[in-house]
Amino acid sequence: MNNSVNRRSFLKTATAASLSSLIPMQYALSKDALNGKTLVVLELSGGNDGLNTIIPYADDNYYKHRPNIGIRENKLLKIDDYFGFNPGIVGLESLYKEGNMAIIHGCGYDNPSFSHFTSMAYMHTAAPNSGEEYGWLGRLADHMAPPTHKNFIINIDKTQSLAVRSQKHVPIVFDQPQRFQREGFFVQKSILESVINANNVINNNTAQNFLNEIASSANEASSVISEAWSNYSRRVDYGLTPIDLDKIAALIEADVPARLYYTSFRDNAFDTHVHQPNLHKRLLTYASDAIRGFMNDLDRMGKSQDVVLLVMTEFGRRVPENTSLGTDHGSAGPMFIIGASVKGGHYGEIPDLVNGLDDGDNLKYTTDFRSVYATLIDKWLKVDSKSILRKNFQTFDIFDRTV
Amino acid sequence: MSKNLILISILIILFTSNIFAKETNNWKNDIDPIKKEDWSIAKASHLLERAGFGGTPEEIKFIYNLGHLLAVEHLVNYEKLPTKYLLKFEESNIHDPGLINFPPSRPATTKLAKETGEALGIKVKESGNRKMQPIVNKFFFWLRASRLETQRVAYWWANRMVNSPRPLEEKMTLFWHNHFATNETKVRDYRKLLLQNETFRLHATGNFKELLIAVAKDPAMLHFLDAGQNVKGAPNENFAREIMELFTLGVGNYEEKDIREAARAFTGWNTNDLEFIVNKDKHDTGQKTILSHTGNFTGEEVIDILLDQDAAAIFIVKKIYKEFVNEEVDNIIIDQYAKILKSNNYQLKPLLKTIFLSKDFYSTENIGSHIKSPIELVVSTYKKLGLNKSPGIPDFNQATTAMGQTLFWPPTVAGWAGGSSWITPALLMERGNFARSFLYPDIDFIPKDFYSPDPKIIVMHDAIRNGSDITNATKSSNGGESVMMMAEGNMMADRDEDFNTRYGSYRGWQMAVSKVKPIPRHAAEINFTKMIIDSGAHNTEEAVDYLINRFLTVKINNKKRIMIISFLEENLGTNNIIDAKSYLEDSIRMVVHLIMSQPEYQLG
Repeated sequence: MNNSVNRRSFLKTATAASLSSLIPMQYALSKDALNGKTLVVLELSGGNDGLNTIIPYADDNYYKHRPNIGIRENKLLKIDDYFGFNPGIVGLESLYKEGNMAIIHGCGYDNPSFSHFTSMAYMHTAAPNSGEEYGWLGRLADHMAPPTHKNFIINIDKTQSLAVRSQKHVPIVFDQPQRFQREGFFVQKSILESVINANNVINNNTAQNFLNEIASSANEASSVISEAWSNYSRRVDYGLTPIDLDKIAALIEADVPARLYYTSFRDNAFDTHVHQPNLHKRLLTYASDAIRGFMNDLDRMGKSQDVVLLVMTEFGRRVPENTSLGTDHGSAGPMFIIGASVKGGHYGEIPDLVNGLDDGDNLKYTTDFRSVYATLIDKWLKVDSKSILRKNFQTFDIFDRTV
Repeated sequence: MSKNLILISILIILFTSNIFAKETNNWKNDIDPIKKEDWSIAKASHLLERAGFGGTPEEIKFIYNLGHLLAVEHLVNYEKLPTKYLLKFEESNIHDPGLINFPPSRPATTKLAKETGEALGIKVKESGNRKMQPIVNKFFFWLRASRLETQRVAYWWANRMVNSPRPLEEKMTLFWHNHFATNETKVRDYRKLLLQNETFRLHATGNFKELLIAVAKDPAMLHFLDAGQNVKGAPNENFAREIMELFTLGVGNYEEKDIREAARAFTGWNTNDLEFIVNKDKHDTGQKTILSHTGNFTGEEVIDILLDQDAAAIFIVKKIYKEFVNEEVDNIIIDQYAKILKSNNYQLKPLLKTIFLSKDFYSTENIGSHIKSPIELVVSTYKKLGLNKSPGIPDFNQATTAMGQTLFWPPTVAGWAGGSSWITPALLMERGNFARSFLYPDIDFIPKDFYSPDPKIIVMHDAIRNGSDITNATKSSNGGESVMMMAEGNMMADRDEDFNTRYGSYRGWQMAVSKVKPIPRHAAEINFTKMIIDSGAHNTEEAVDYLINRFLTVKINNKKRIMIISFLEENLGTNNIIDAKSYLEDSIRMVVHLIMSQPEYQLG
């Protein structure tokens, strides 16, 4: 135990030292102030069916609602005498059994929206039914670090998620690290960069000003990102689709000064209206393998104590199955927090499949999803969650492994 | 000598002040038409950028010479302009009747085969190992073939955008593709997407109501939003939800119960391959109450109810305004335009003409305020260069995909978010890299969807070619023992003895590339030397200013401009363009790359 801690801190110092010559001073300075904890958010876009992910097999009502697509008890990966995992998520099962996965049940909010885009926007802003402009991670960044702390939020995607939209920070958004650089002739290089940095435009064209601001951030981030990626090699198995968690691992390994990462299983993949069972199982397998791989990778680099992963989606699905062997848009569902610092198990009240349904057969939420965010903000990142979420929410003792 | 210098400096000051002077007007939100005397080259250029994809200086001059009224007429009432020279899409011979009603997944395909002894027009083998392998091969063949063919359809469309004499027709087709976003990944049939594209073009600037009805009956859309699953007694709400939320009203203008009731009105709407049909026995003929109207409504009547809402005209107009005028909107002007659309019974042309003639459209705030989508960027780049088709290197689809947009693959049913969401640090760099990629084409280019770069497939290919059995070939393609833990997803590949999915996907790939026609891979033919000499530029300064003028709507600041001029001069070893004529080409290409890498190049 002692040995591994020593080895870990040694590795950390070694990496930091080797990088210090490459990155500006401000990165190294603000790192200490931020207790070194990192939050990674994985979004399962499209509305993951929580009921067919964590199956309450001991509740007959589940099978009554889902006579055709309900997963039979003998097929499940049982985790206790009430719940079983979808047979596709062997990786998560092992994380759960190792005690590193917290399941928070019944996460949702009042007056749920059944629109992907609206509900996802509520999840992104942590402000349902309001016109909040900035994302919860963006606001968190504004609170945690001054804008001079560059590259504080990293969003792996083609386009920027609302979750990371910040008033002061420019989130670094990229899809392919190897392409995140300017191509050009040697003789052009200096001018390509100096042209971009000649940022003394004064005018009223907001689009032009926006573009110039992004251009200068792009220049600053590009070398950090592409270097981290070229120094990384994937030495653990992430399954068929790493959902970009390998890219995040590369940046964490390189001690890039980001503390907030966002990635998603993209393109509404989990929107399983039709012929759900095989498709859903396959999607879950991809996600589960990638998460297991990511955790193994963090272990390998000795960072597993410093990182937790939140897994969320925009809504759960309707409790009764539809007539197309699928499920329609619903409301509440489980969220997961995974990591070596997590005290695994069940949190939040388990929804009642009879009395816990509204008129439209959707689950009434039992946990405000912002409680999960508040838990991460207060207890993991050690920031006052009220200043981000505008209200006090109940938190869970998810990071206290001694209790 | 010194006299000459002074003269040149004066000319430069005059010329640059002309370029960089900001003309301002107070036209924002004024829908009154501009006057004859307001018309200018800059306004003609703005019109062509927005109502089309921009053009060469000659094309802008042509629009300018028409005068503002005829220019708008020329762009909006385009039906008289002949398009016969635009070729029809030339299909590869990949579809056969066995592929009609293509099952939703590989498991659904093999299940069907197990139950009926046949799927995709292929029989299950009587006996032996992997009895369903040919079926699974064909399943993966069609996934790949439809994907590749859809990329060819996208290429064909891109060439139309570059070369059509009716740019607004193509631009509105693109607009509707974004509004009624439908994705190949789910539709899995290029024929349906091609048909949908033709529907969008047919109604591009026609009547929105007719378009909406056509879309509601469109096979690709019906498939995409699971309309086929929407039956009496068990409605599927997907289509009803999106028609209200994304196609006509927007969130907040209807309630959940309206969606449920509207879904009932669309029950039974389905397709028979490429044909729209109504299954009468699956249509719910009961009373429905939608947005306070009660009756035994059909789908068409629901559309009437939706479009009767004021919210509908506002919703459509806002989207058009954001795309064609400014991402930032004021409700004052939207309301006025919505009235025009509604009083014209959703005919689009009167609205479009009013917009393109309005003072608002030409107001200082609205010129150069639009961040181009990747498709607009690539098409307008090619148009400004005077090309009449998209080069094969770089690949059109790969180039736009790298910048965040792929024709026929919008990310979700909501389409592309547009505006500032097109730009992230990485995507902005990618835009500069795109410019470089047609100026200096990759000589190791391979189309990756055609010839697989996937190491799993390549290892499999090598193993099979060298006589390995399928099981072992699959294992070696998994990377053998070199990985720490074999993930579950990988282990699943070879579990079923009836077929091997990895082999199926490999063999299906081969079958697809044997049948799908290749995309021609020519590089862009551009003669920059001629362009510069023809422009009449004598020195590096004039050459750079010519290029800035030709390519940038929003000019770069003078400091950047001077840098580029000095770069060119240093690179040529002289500031005299005529002296350097014989070796001008590469230096000008570098300058073009520098200009197109500017943030300002993203604006139109």
